[in-house]
Amino acid sequence: MRKAVKKDRLAWLDIMITLLTLELMAYFYYGTRALFTALLCMTVSAAAEFISLRIMHRRFTADDLTCVSDGLILALMLPAFIDYEIVVIAAVFMIVVAKCIFGGRRNMIFSPAAVGYIFILTSWGKELLTYPAPHDRCGIFSKPDTLVDSASHIFNLSGKLNYSDFELLLGNFSGPCGSVSVLLLVVAAVILILRRDISAGAFIGSISGTAILAYLAPVSDIRVDSVRYSLIMNMVLFASIYIISDRRIAPRRNYYAFFYGFFTAVFAYIIVLTTAKENAVVIVSVLFTPIALSLRTLERSIEHIRRKDEKAREEKALAADDTEVSADEQ
Amino acid sequence: MSSKKSHIFDGLLSDNTVLSSLMVISPIIICGESLKNAVAIIYAFSIITFFSVMLSSFVPKKLPYAVKIIIYALISSLVCVPVKLAAENFYAESINRIGIYYPLLAVNSLIVVQTEAKFFCMKKLRMTASLFFYILGFDAVILITAFIRELFAYGTINSRMVDVNRTIGGLAESFGGFIFLGIMCGIYRAIRSRISHSSAKEDNDVSDN
Amino acid sequence: MFLITDFIAFLAANLILTQALGTSTLFIAAGNRKSLVATASVITIFTTFGSASAYITDRLLPVKYTDFTLFFYTLAVGILYVIFLSALFFYSREKFDKAKKYIHVSAFNCAVMGTLLTINGRAAADSSLMHLGRYMLSGIEAGLGFIVTALILTAAYKRLTSSKVPASFRGFPAMLVYLGIISMAVYALK
Repeated sequence: MRKAVKKDRLAWLDIMITLLTLELMAYFYYGTRALFTALLCMTVSAAAEFISLRIMHRRFTADDLTCVSDGLILALMLPAFIDYEIVVIAAVFMIVVAKCIFGGRRNMIFSPAAVGYIFILTSWGKELLTYPAPHDRCGIFSKPDTLVDSASHIFNLSGKLNYSDFELLLGNFSGPCGSVSVLLLVVAAVILILRRDISAGAFIGSISGTAILAYLAPVSDIRVDSVRYSLIMNMVLFASIYIISDRRIAPRRNYYAFFYGFFTAVFAYIIVLTTAKENAVVIVSVLFTPIALSLRTLERSIEHIRRKDEKAREEKALAADDTEVSADEQ
Repeated sequence: MSSKKSHIFDGLLSDNTVLSSLMVISPIIICGESLKNAVAIIYAFSIITFFSVMLSSFVPKKLPYAVKIIIYALISSLVCVPVKLAAENFYAESINRIGIYYPLLAVNSLIVVQTEAKFFCMKKLRMTASLFFYILGFDAVILITAFIRELFAYGTINSRMVDVNRTIGGLAESFGGFIFLGIMCGIYRAIRSRISHSSAKEDNDVSDN
Repeated sequence: MFLITDFIAFLAANLILTQALGTSTLFIAAGNRKSLVATASVITIFTTFGSASAYITDRLLPVKYTDFTLFFYTLAVGILYVIFLSALFFYSREKFDKAKKYIHVSAFNCAVMGTLLTINGRAAADSSLMHLGRYMLSGIEAGLGFIVTALILTAAYKRLTSSKVPASFRGFPAMLVYLGIISMAVYALK
């Protein structure tokens, strides 16, 4: 038990380190405002979790710090210059409504960050989907004069992108402040999979689902471009790592997790293809939560049956041994 | 005496139609986003439910359950007609926005389910008083819901602008209604259990003395 | 691909998630997982046949009596209610005893009536929908939507009623919030 707790804490630490590197990149592109937004989001999330746990007569322990990583995931999905009020409301909503009402970390149903993101999308969609251009830096309490559409939006509508591979790799294009640095995301994915901090099955399923469909039904004229851009745009890579592959939500076995990730990605891709909906993968990940829950229940049932079979076999073997011994004695 | 009294008032708090039994929640989720809609729903719900239950109480009890339920539903759908015609004069604006939720009040669970299970097990006078408080319980919930949702979703109170810095548009949508009602239900339950805890403690103290 | 886009459209038209119709019935049926799906299935039968009778009502009812539409819908559903109960009774007493509670819950509620009134509204706005096939199709669609929502609720049922959920939110309040979040995702897709 203690080993499992220790493992969870180390996993959280790994995730936090990768998220912080992404935040560093956001600071590089958008300045102190991005840093302050993340800090605010994490602080409010921690405060909301602390108060909720006190109301539930529970103690705030080191394990409850997952709320901080949830806060950071949400902050990285937002534009760097979004209003602080929105950040505060969304962080409170995500922790209280999507997490604590269901019992907190012991009984996770949804990915809090994904719910927080959809909450902002449904209430302040315009503020959420207009972004500053990279290197458009401002102070903590100022905003840039012009905001632009994201590269994902342009790609969804036209199937084309005017960025070099180097720019794409470094995330030097307009979009959510921390979820566009492809190079860092790839490194983060490899580290987290190798350290078993995220579900490898769900991640591979999600990436392969997007890639296969982007090849079969391309958004761009060139299939390879379609695969490349579809993986980078619409936060597919980011959501595949931190939302779909979240071990708290995804099925435990890689086999089931793969199909969960695969179908989530396929649905999201079709939505992008047919409606040009930006960042559809986050929405679909919440819609597919009942499927993840069902798969987890199925896993448990299979495990239960397997254990029962093993027990019955052991008992049978023991009974056979007993009869052999008694026969020998006679 | 006290238990009898509490039974009559049950519908207002301890056995609230919406928060305790989760009945008649569709109009609250969809239409309970502005005070104007709420007032129109209160008018319709109160009159339709009150008269339908009162008239239904004259239906012979010996009839089979299914037949009685059909008759209750038919009575309430007839009561709904004059109520809607009158509402078209008083709440013309709200009627359009409420749409199908107006006639749907005629088949609400309080009439179709609770009549047999609860009201018709009581004596007429007691039933009337109890029904009144059940209706009042619903009215209070939709009024509170509409007030809070309108304030934070539109930044208005009864369509008058108030100083709210940041409105939350989603609160006026159906999902906002679901979530808000869920939270309200939770808070209601917490308060109810605290009250019952403290009253049980008081009873224990009295019996100890 | 078309199947998925159709499914998304079907989800976006779900009467519970988008219009909260039949939510109370869903919660009444949410006593256990089995009854949830059984009630949803019986409601589908009611919405399907109910919409056929709504079509007949809309065809035969003179315009000056449209205020009585609800009355005639109630009458039609009432007749269906009696027919289903009688048919089940004569088919098998055992099955009747088992299934009658689902029929009682499923007959008069916002899910069935709301479906009929929604179809009526759509047909009034677009006369090309004034067709028996369209009415029944809409009825089946609404019923299937109800089954999908019941399945969505069933998937999380254990977690929503778990002892890990705070006592005040355990059960119905958690279910409402859960459905609200799913409904929010559906809304975001529109």
